[in-house]
Amino acid sequence: MVMRFFRSHEPASLEQVQSQFLQMLTHDRDAFDAATATLLSGGDPASVGPTLRTTDAKVNELEREIRRELVVHASVHGARDIAAILIYMSIVKDAERIGDYAKNIFDLAAGGVSFQEAPDRPAMMTHRDRVSDMITEAGEIFAADDHDAANLLLAEADRMRDVYDELVDALVVSDGVARDAVPRALFYRHLKRITAHLANLLTAVVVPVDKLDYLDEPRDPAP
Amino acid sequence: MTQASPSFEGETRQSRATPALRTILVLGFLYLFLVGVSMLEAGIKAFGADFQADLLNGVDHPIAGLAAGVLATVLVQSSSVSTATIVGLVGAGTLTVDAAVPMIMGANIGTTVTNTFVALGSARRSEEFRRAFAGATMHDFFNLMAVAVFLPLQVATGFLSRAAEEVAELLGGNVGGSTAKSPIKTAVKEPVGWIKDGIDSLTSSDEILGGLLLGLGILVILLALAVITRNMRRLIASRIETGLNALVARGGGLVGMLFGVLITIAVQSSSITTSILVPLIGSGVLAVRNAYPITLGANLGTTITALLASLAVDLQAGLVVALTHTLFNVAAIVTFYPVRRVRYVPVQLAERLAGLAVDNRVYVIVYVAGLFVVAPLLGIVIFG
Repeated sequence: MVMRFFRSHEPASLEQVQSQFLQMLTHDRDAFDAATATLLSGGDPASVGPTLRTTDAKVNELEREIRRELVVHASVHGARDIAAILIYMSIVKDAERIGDYAKNIFDLAAGGVSFQEAPDRPAMMTHRDRVSDMITEAGEIFAADDHDAANLLLAEADRMRDVYDELVDALVVSDGVARDAVPRALFYRHLKRITAHLANLLTAVVVPVDKLDYLDEPRDPAP
Repeated sequence: MTQASPSFEGETRQSRATPALRTILVLGFLYLFLVGVSMLEAGIKAFGADFQADLLNGVDHPIAGLAAGVLATVLVQSSSVSTATIVGLVGAGTLTVDAAVPMIMGANIGTTVTNTFVALGSARRSEEFRRAFAGATMHDFFNLMAVAVFLPLQVATGFLSRAAEEVAELLGGNVGGSTAKSPIKTAVKEPVGWIKDGIDSLTSSDEILGGLLLGLGILVILLALAVITRNMRRLIASRIETGLNALVARGGGLVGMLFGVLITIAVQSSSITTSILVPLIGSGVLAVRNAYPITLGANLGTTITALLASLAVDLQAGLVVALTHTLFNVAAIVTFYPVRRVRYVPVQLAERLAGLAVDNRVYVIVYVAGLFVVAPLLGIVIFG
């Protein structure tokens, strides 16, 4: 390590933090895909569970690692990158929460719920596919700092959250049996939360630090 | 924003100087630093023998010398400046090596005040403060232990300065007399000669000449070290960060110590190194015990400044004092660090003090004022 000190060509720490953050999102998508496959396509919870727990542990460790690196970065560089540090401090929590919601979806399957034969499975699969793609797209847009793409995806996330709210509201007042309505309401609720956390991290591209996470308020036009 | 550099990164970046420009700047100011030491030496010589005798009498007692070293370093907030000045005084023949060694030891203690001040930034958050204050004061306790053991030994036997003389002779110098005229020294003396001639043409008073050269010398040393430190910090910031990330993950040990030496040699300031560590310790990212070897490395690395300063002075005794500074810190590490039961005594004492400080902040005031102001003043008043 000492010799490396002299010939270090490693990326500066914030680039490393960005790469670790993108890794978190990759793990999130893996976890989400595995969890939804168990719930929607009849995957075996007993075999998916350990993989999901390992992935979750990786996401949690990456979150802690990023936080430590941010503290080191602030100590070495002072206030120079304070905005970036605060943004990462905020959005790693979003990435970690996406992993948690993937686990919650898996818990439905582990609890005996299966939508494999459900009549509304195609609609669920459509939502699932879109959310899964959005996890990767959000990471790519964040890394590329693409304001236009971020605004487009944020608008789509807004619409999706409205759709999930409507679906949950309809299930709450439905006449159906609880064992049909409750798992669906939870599934859509989890999709809504994942979409909201993706939107949170996308706000980092288009709004200043103080407005992070405030998705419902009008945003300043991109410069 | 590009993939490699998000737009929110470095929004407040103040300077876009290239590494090459910074390197040239550092080399230029290193030269200026040596010019400053040489100016200081010339100023002291210009004051004449009476001034030199008075100064020597004032710090003749080892405790007074130690106290003067602490106080001078606290005042300038930099052991690099105070040790370079001491080397200049010895190089000019104003201070003897024996009188200078306690001052150098005092500078070691005085320099720790900076990170203690950094720790005070956490004073409102008890647990963070407990860690930060322990992390800052373990440096004090290590230096106090080192002085408690090695100052009496040095006074009784002169073992440190004798060993430094041996090393200086091995390096090819004549300890009793002037060093050979190196190209560095010639290059450094030249501008000092011009300045001296310029002042000489304006006044015939030796006191004014001496005062101006002395004041200018200290100013130039302060300015040069500030510029060197700031630029070197920026030049190697990503390397510091990479190294710290590795140490945070794996712990310190001897690698941590070497890391502390390297950073401090590079930035020419142990205060910078230890002040970077204190927030990391306070936040809990770096354990106090993992930071401890890095701090010891910083203690050793900071001795490079006095060694550099010795390049600019006439007498080989300047080099001897600078080497004594290095050997003192090496001896302290070699004595305390390998023995496990002794190794962590400074950390334990610091943690105990931090516990008291968390319970009652008055201990902080008593400790900081007592160690860095009252005790040195008493030392000078009683023994000076």
